[in-house]
Amino acid sequence: MHRRTFQAVSLWLAIALALAGCGLGEQLLGKTVVVSIVYGSEKREWLEPLAAAYNAAGHETADGERIEVQITAMGSIEAVNAIIAGTLQPTVWSPASSIYIPVANAEWQQSHADDLVTGSPKDLVLSPVVVAMWKPMAEALGWPAKALGWADIAALATDTAGWSGYGYPEWGSFKFGHTHPGYSNSGVAAILAETYAGLDKQRGLTLADLNNPAVREFVAAVESGIIHYGTSTGFFAERMFARGPSYLSAAVMYENLVVAQESKRLSGASAQLPVVAIYPQEGTFWSNHPYAVLNAPWVTAAQRAGAEDFQAFLLDTPQQLKAIELGFRPADPAIPLTAPLDAQHGVDVQQPQTVLEVPPADVIQGIQALWLEVKKPVDLVAVIDVSGSMEGDKITAARASLVQFVNLLDGRDQLQVIAFNDTVTTLTPLSPLAEKREDVARRVSGIIEDGGTALYDAVAQAYAELEANGDPDHIRAIVVLSDGVDQDSSSTLDELIRAIGSTGEESGRAIKVFTIAFGEDADPAVLKEIAEATGGQQYNSDPQNVSQIYGEIATFF
Amino acid sequence: MPRLNWLLFIGYSVVALAVFIGALLSPVFRGLAYAPLRELILPPPAPIVISLLYSTEKEAWLEEAIAAFEQTRPTVGGRPIAIELSAMGSREIYLAVLDGDAQPTLISPASSLQISILQDLSTARFGAPLVNPADTTNCRPVLNTPLVLVAWRERAEVLWGAGPGPAVWQQLHDALIDPAGWEQYGHPEWGYVKFGHTDPLKSNSGFMTILLLSYSYFNKTSGLEASEILADQGYQQWFIELESTISEFGESTGTYMRDIVAYGPSRYDIVAVYEATAIEQADNALGRYGELRLYYPPATVMSDHPFCVLNAAWVTPDQGTAARLLIDYLTDQPAQELALLKYGFRPINPAVALEQTGSPFARFGANGLQADLPPLVEVPPGGVLNTLLDFWSRTVPRR
Repeated sequence: MHRRTFQAVSLWLAIALALAGCGLGEQLLGKTVVVSIVYGSEKREWLEPLAAAYNAAGHETADGERIEVQITAMGSIEAVNAIIAGTLQPTVWSPASSIYIPVANAEWQQSHADDLVTGSPKDLVLSPVVVAMWKPMAEALGWPAKALGWADIAALATDTAGWSGYGYPEWGSFKFGHTHPGYSNSGVAAILAETYAGLDKQRGLTLADLNNPAVREFVAAVESGIIHYGTSTGFFAERMFARGPSYLSAAVMYENLVVAQESKRLSGASAQLPVVAIYPQEGTFWSNHPYAVLNAPWVTAAQRAGAEDFQAFLLDTPQQLKAIELGFRPADPAIPLTAPLDAQHGVDVQQPQTVLEVPPADVIQGIQALWLEVKKPVDLVAVIDVSGSMEGDKITAARASLVQFVNLLDGRDQLQVIAFNDTVTTLTPLSPLAEKREDVARRVSGIIEDGGTALYDAVAQAYAELEANGDPDHIRAIVVLSDGVDQDSSSTLDELIRAIGSTGEESGRAIKVFTIAFGEDADPAVLKEIAEATGGQQYNSDPQNVSQIYGEIATFF
Repeated sequence: MPRLNWLLFIGYSVVALAVFIGALLSPVFRGLAYAPLRELILPPPAPIVISLLYSTEKEAWLEEAIAAFEQTRPTVGGRPIAIELSAMGSREIYLAVLDGDAQPTLISPASSLQISILQDLSTARFGAPLVNPADTTNCRPVLNTPLVLVAWRERAEVLWGAGPGPAVWQQLHDALIDPAGWEQYGHPEWGYVKFGHTDPLKSNSGFMTILLLSYSYFNKTSGLEASEILADQGYQQWFIELESTISEFGESTGTYMRDIVAYGPSRYDIVAVYEATAIEQADNALGRYGELRLYYPPATVMSDHPFCVLNAAWVTPDQGTAARLLIDYLTDQPAQELALLKYGFRPINPAVALEQTGSPFARFGANGLQADLPPLVEVPPGGVLNTLLDFWSRTVPRR
């Protein structure tokens, strides 16, 4: 063997040995069991660093397999719907609360012999469902001397005088929010509580109760105060605390989110007014973050063992103490309830004093169906970029996902579709979707790409027309998809922002613009500026995920 | 004297050889053999394996006590004892034995209720009972803990004053079924009245609770009869009304106690649990939410953790002896003291004083824990108990 060849072979051998000795070798030779966990996003700040620390520490199952946890935050109900549809196959589902488990089991049983969640999953952390409200507003309602309840919220939401009835005309109308009950647990909790309040009951809800016209009327009235829905409770909290009382007066969320905001405010990281947790006097629900190792065919014994090991880690004292810092109440009763769980952080651990009974699965499903019928409708303008640069995959994906998006809307919703290149064209004017669903699908599917990009003009026109023709008692929104930079508008970005920007006490009720930066040539910064000026949201997207993005936007309505 | 030395040597060799041969034939001789050589030459004697099906409530104590028992290197006929443990629900234990799914040497459900049922059902099925509580050599209680009520003091006192009187179950029934809930007592902020006990089909404490409810309706503490359960319409209505107010029946008594402490007064007003379960959480409950207190119903029933060697063909005499040695150890002072001081059970062994230093009974008096017990109800025959379980299962709505 030549000396050089020998050296080369030695070098390669040395590298191979080195690789075998470190991580790659372990991956190749040793076995790793992957435990996938989908969880409610409200505990993201707690779970993410813990999962990373757990993985770094190299835990093993009793059989010597290395455990790797992979966590994904997702709306609790959205997650279970995907599990039942078979598109998501995690080892563990940890929703924000147990409320929806009976419904999940009932739906799973339609195609399986057993329950999806068996036994009694352990709670990871606790937090009651509360109404978060700006402290001066709560005080205007008589809090803390007067206990407030769901009925007070309902009365306020349905009172056309809004805050002026309480001596604060400068606060405008009462702007209320909860998440979408088709996607998120706190949204389900909110509509269950509204139903109970409408019947003046605290337990024993039946399907027959739902036929009572008074309940329907009551829920519809409360929902009329909603500014928009949304997929995740954490996101709702973020919005409310970032945009202030002109955007939302109060929202249904979890106690821990109030504590987290107050910690931020007290440390100087937020300049908002103080916020307090209202524990509805009729009772509420608990967010208990159950950790359910799924009784599903895809979960292996090794995954189950790994999942249980991670559960034990999360319930261990240091991790439970970490949860308190973030505003959760510990699941372990051996750990005392200490700061920041205190009045300084807007909460009272002696509350709640009572709960509402969790109804059986069929009643929960009945209430979800009732809500769909009475929820606040949306007046929506879909604006789509049909410039020449959309050719190929882009226009195909955009057309298909816009049709899917329209299908997520209710027949009572009103829709206008605008296509733009260097000119702005209305494909269908604002009118109820029920009358034209098929026509809209046909028109959208027939869109052809050509020409330039007059983004600002298109948004300005959509906004002006929605303001003129939309019903201010509906949620009003514009969803814009664009793949390029504006080249052909007669107006400037500054002029557009001035025209659509919402400020003042009614900003929560103003028209929201949601923007999708589509593909690499889009201008996300400009689209973000447009969205945020209105209280909307900007998303980055490509032909692969655009339908998912549209789906996410649909949860606001 | 070389000859004598020779004789001694030969004599010793013969004895040593005999011991080793004897040890090969029977483990009794094994102990006589020279230890280092014995371990080198002789195969270890086969252990006597006894299997124990036990209920989960005593798991922590049992594992600790059995580890200590094994430290004493117990033997039967020179053979060591090996214990195979399986934890199960109390009802599962007797069903597994009856159906032939398990053939244990020894069983220990949470109470004599299950032994009574197994006695009746096995007699009916096999012509002879698999267990006989009258035969105290083979079947006897090992730990005691009564069923108690744990409640928020402020709320309990609104309901029954300083302490529950003879009408406590009736008061609870009336409070539970009233749609006005706590409002009828001037406390609308407490919502509806929330009582919790476990699923009687899955957990002994739930079973004990429905037994006490039934006795209390008939205003007696013994002589409950199947005909009363099956034919008394007043009882049936009363019982179903009360049970229908409970929206969820869990599987574990420990979870109820944990939940009332972890969630505070919003979740449950009153739960029926074991005294030992309440003691387990007593320190955690202090200063957390309001004052949580333990109350004794006017008559109660004991979770007495009987250990019974099965009267079955598959239990060999050696296994029987080994099992009895274990029962003796568990009722002896060290294991009983461990059960009291660390786990809050009442000792069976009279030599262990209940209120000694370090005992929970010396610490939690202010929280309602007391040495004196109310009268105990009679454990009905298995047939009556089975009728009660069956009635509950047929009539009480569950989610």
